[in-house]
Amino acid sequence: MRKKSRYRPLKAGDILLIIIFLSFLFFIPHKKGKNLRVKVKNKRVFLYPLNIDRELKFHGSIGTTRVIIKNGAAKIQKAPCPLKLCEKRGWISNQGEQIICIPNKIMLEIEGSNIDGITE
Amino acid sequence: MELQNKISIISLFSALTIVSFVFENFIPRPAPGIRIGLANIFILIVLISYGYREALTIGIIKSVAGSLIVGQLLSPAFIFSISGTVVSITVMFIADKYLKRLSILGISVLGAESHIITQVWLASRFFTGSGSFIYLLSPYIIISLISGIITGITSFWIYINVREKLNIAKFQT
Repeated sequence: MRKKSRYRPLKAGDILLIIIFLSFLFFIPHKKGKNLRVKVKNKRVFLYPLNIDRELKFHGSIGTTRVIIKNGAAKIQKAPCPLKLCEKRGWISNQGEQIICIPNKIMLEIEGSNIDGITE
Repeated sequence: MELQNKISIISLFSALTIVSFVFENFIPRPAPGIRIGLANIFILIVLISYGYREALTIGIIKSVAGSLIVGQLLSPAFIFSISGTVVSITVMFIADKYLKRLSILGISVLGAESHIITQVWLASRFFTGSGSFIYLLSPYIIISLISGIITGITSFWIYINVREKLNIAKFQT
C-alpha cells in the first residue's frame, strides 16, 4: 500500500534539502555594528557611534558604571555590581551583541543601521 | 486498523517516545533547545507506517506525559515543545504525502527544521522583541540540520529492520 520509494536511503531531494539548509551557514550574522545603544534603568536610552573613541559614565541603581568605546568595540570598564559579570563579558563589537548588568540596571547593545526599524 | 491493534501500537510507541524524551533530558545541553530529538525517530516511523492521526496522538501524549515526568508541565518549555511537535508532525505528513523525491532522511530533516523554527519564533515572540529573531535562527537551523540527519539515518535503519521482522505492513489501513 505504501510506496516502495521510502526504502531508498538517500535521494536527490534529500541532498537538495540539506544544501538549502546548509546555506544558512552564510547567514550567521557577524556584521560589525555601527552604534552603541545604552539603556539605563529601563528608561533613558542613549545612542553613541562606535567610530569615535570615548569614555562614558552612567549612573545606575547602585552606582556608576564606566563604559569605554575604542576601535569600534565597547566594554564595561568598571561596575559597582558584586559579581562583575558585565566586566567579564569583555569587548562587544558585532551587531546584536549585548552586555546586561542587572544589579545596576544598565544594558548595552550594539546595533547596525539596517535593523533600526525593527527594534522597537 | 482494528481497535486493538491501534491501542497496542499507540501505547507501544508512546512508551518508546516518552522514554526517549525523558532520557534526552539527562543529557546536558549547551544552550536551550539543542537536542538530538530521539523521540522524533519513533514518531517518524509511526507517521510513515500508519498515518497522521496516530502520529499526532503519540506526539501529544509524548509532550504531555514527558513534560509531566520531567517537571515542566504548563511551563513555557512545555508550550514550545507541544507546538513544535504538532507543527513538525504536520510538515512531515505533508512532505510524506506530496514530496515523493524525499526519503526518510529528507522528511526527518524537514521535521527537525520546522520544529526548531517554530520554537525560535515562539521564543522570540514571548521573551524578546521581534528584532533578535534573525540572530538566533541561522545557528539553530545548522544545529537542527545535524540532529535531523542523525535522527533520519537512525529512523531509516530502524524502519527497514522493524518492517521486515515485525511485519508492520499487515496492520495498515
